Amino acid sequence: MPEDKARFKCLRCGAEFELPYTPGKVEERECPECESNSVRRIKEPTQSKSG
Amino acid sequence: MNISAPDSAVQAYPLADGLSQAKGLTGAVMVVGGGIAGMQAALDLADQGFKVYLVETKSAIGGKMAQLDKTFPTNDCAMCTISPKLVEAGRHPNIQIMTDTEVRAVRGQAGNFTVTLHHAPRYVDISKCIACGDCAKVCPQVKPDEFNFGLVHRHAIYQPFPQAIPAAYVLDMDTCLGNNPRACGKCIEACEKHCIDLDATDHDVEFTVGTIVIATGMESFDPLGMTEYGYGRMKNVITAMEFERLASSGGPTGGDIRRFSDGRRPKSIAFIQCVGSRCEGPGNSYCGNICCMNTIKDSLLLKDHWPEIDVTVYYIDLRAFGKGFEEMLKRSRQLGVRYIRGIPGEVEENEDQSLTLHVENTETGLVEQHQTDMVVLATGVQPRAEAYDLNKLLSLQLHPEGFLLEAHPKLQPVDSPVRGIFYAGCAEGPKDIKETVTQASAAAGRATRLMSQGEIAADPYTVEVDQDRCKACGLCLKVCPYGAFEWEKGAKAKPLEALCAGCGTCAAECRFEAITPHQFSDAQLMAQVEASLARDPEQKAVVFACNWCSYAAADTAGVSRFQYPANQVLIRTMCSGRVDEKFILRAFELGAPIVLVSGCHFVDCHYIDANRQTVKRVEKLWDKLESWGIRPERLQLEWISSAQGQRFQKSMEWLDKLRREVTPREIAQTKRILKQKLHPPKPKKQADRKGVTANA
Repeated sequence: MPEDKARFKCLRCGAEFELPYTPGKVEERECPECESNSVRRIKEPTQSKSG
Repeated sequence: MNISAPDSAVQAYPLADGLSQAKGLTGAVMVVGGGIAGMQAALDLADQGFKVYLVETKSAIGGKMAQLDKTFPTNDCAMCTISPKLVEAGRHPNIQIMTDTEVRAVRGQAGNFTVTLHHAPRYVDISKCIACGDCAKVCPQVKPDEFNFGLVHRHAIYQPFPQAIPAAYVLDMDTCLGNNPRACGKCIEACEKHCIDLDATDHDVEFTVGTIVIATGMESFDPLGMTEYGYGRMKNVITAMEFERLASSGGPTGGDIRRFSDGRRPKSIAFIQCVGSRCEGPGNSYCGNICCMNTIKDSLLLKDHWPEIDVTVYYIDLRAFGKGFEEMLKRSRQLGVRYIRGIPGEVEENEDQSLTLHVENTETGLVEQHQTDMVVLATGVQPRAEAYDLNKLLSLQLHPEGFLLEAHPKLQPVDSPVRGIFYAGCAEGPKDIKETVTQASAAAGRATRLMSQGEIAADPYTVEVDQDRCKACGLCLKVCPYGAFEWEKGAKAKPLEALCAGCGTCAAECRFEAITPHQFSDAQLMAQVEASLARDPEQKAVVFACNWCSYAAADTAGVSRFQYPANQVLIRTMCSGRVDEKFILRAFELGAPIVLVSGCHFVDCHYIDANRQTVKRVEKLWDKLESWGIRPERLQLEWISSAQGQRFQKSMEWLDKLRREVTPREIAQTKRILKQKLHPPKPKKQADRKGVTANA
């Protein structure tokens, strides 16, 4: 599985940052600002195929 | 204000069920693997009166140690050390050696594992065979001898090695001219004891054991893929194990070191370390543990026997860390062995079949060319394929390097994550003979501790499945780190009590509420949530803390006198994996401004990897909350180890800050949303909507 980067948001301090990300892989992630593990991936909005 | 967890615990107490139940167990052990680890564990257990089934896939026990010449650090003869063990294991009344046998299935639980073994035919009756060798003398078929790494040949009917136990011959039917139709049969004619049966067939055997010791050992790395060293192409490049057979007095050359190309004794020998170890490319990333000392031992052996041979060792760094190891290295240097820091990038064969090594000497920074008569590759160690199969059969776990993962690397180093199954030797990781024997005795001790009670107390933290509620979806088995369910497609799940460690992840994931963990049932945990939030819920933060790390971290913070806001309610679960979505939503529904799910860091998870399931669940819940119009920030996730009292303190301070940001209006809105989502009004009957009653 190729490892890529994705944007994450800390649900504790609100910081946004990039971390390595592999779809389907569960990893222990930590906010680089406040060290919280409440780190949520910012999902890209789904792009419409039409038009 | 001080809100204590005991308030909520009191609500849960009347719902607690019984603690443990004692069950009878089988006082027999299956030891898988007949190398030095397996033999030591078997002998220790057998000496204590337990029946031991010593299962070996090959035709003789002895393992890798039987192939060695000398062993470090004492340089004593490997065969002289292992032979008495072989004989003792072969003669012990409590040990049943089962060679040519592999484990096919294991069912049941600690105390009573039912194992199914597949026994391949040997074609020679070991109870009659006296290993006279008359059969082999007349056998016309030959093939390279595996025990000697193909350096010599053996017949189709052969004894694996002279000291082999069982002391009997074995017929290799793939090499034999065959029995259907019989093409030869000379061995049968030669055998006076009539112990050869070409019609023998394979069969399965089944028995019950109380515990299992896994001692499947290791394999040497095969350097064929590392083409830069020319192994397989150049006759005078050999592996360390092949060198052992050459050096052994029982080996093909009677202990004389000779070149394969011309049969003459080499004037110079080069050892290349870390072949297949600490590699980025082909090979393994980890250290083989034993290769440095094995080479030092070989260098001493060469200098003792043939001081005129020029010995050079090429290395990255030398790992001589054990008792007596550094002294061996010093002695080797004193005897004139040259140590060059640098691994050759290439080995070239010259016209006279001597070899040129191209190496960057990292001490001088120069690229050098060295000529030598023979190269020995100090090949690394890797797990045997058999361990992979057992891992699947027994729901064990593998380390990323492929070795079996212990229940705890420091406190339970010979226990598997499955109760009643123990590890001995290199199946768990590369190690030398001394460490292997130590671990084997430890595994035997752990198995004895379990079986000597005569009965086994089932862990109180197991689960129960309500067969009426179970919808046979199989999700419980999928999420269980221990595979502690009997389940087949379409069939209802049955928990395997002794495999279950009680994390409760299955219960949190079951969509049909069919699973009840003893001591941590839905009713108990819900009672704690409700009792905690019975008064002033908006002032509180609900913290679900796992027993082993987060809850212990709260203790650490307490005894360390770390100050933090006192308005948290701690609800203990055995694992964060037990924290069901409905507990969190119920807390929000009752007016909790903030909820924290906390557990062990990934590497510390006491239930293998159950907290990965926690992450998946919390991530889904963040999405769900957001889609319902509830801020996901109100659900927090933290990994806090038991030693991290300060991290716990900091988390609680943050939690209080986040709590204060939640307004009474937001809480009221959340309550309304959850009421709608969790308890939607029942749709009116169609007849009512039409304004027509059933009676009308």
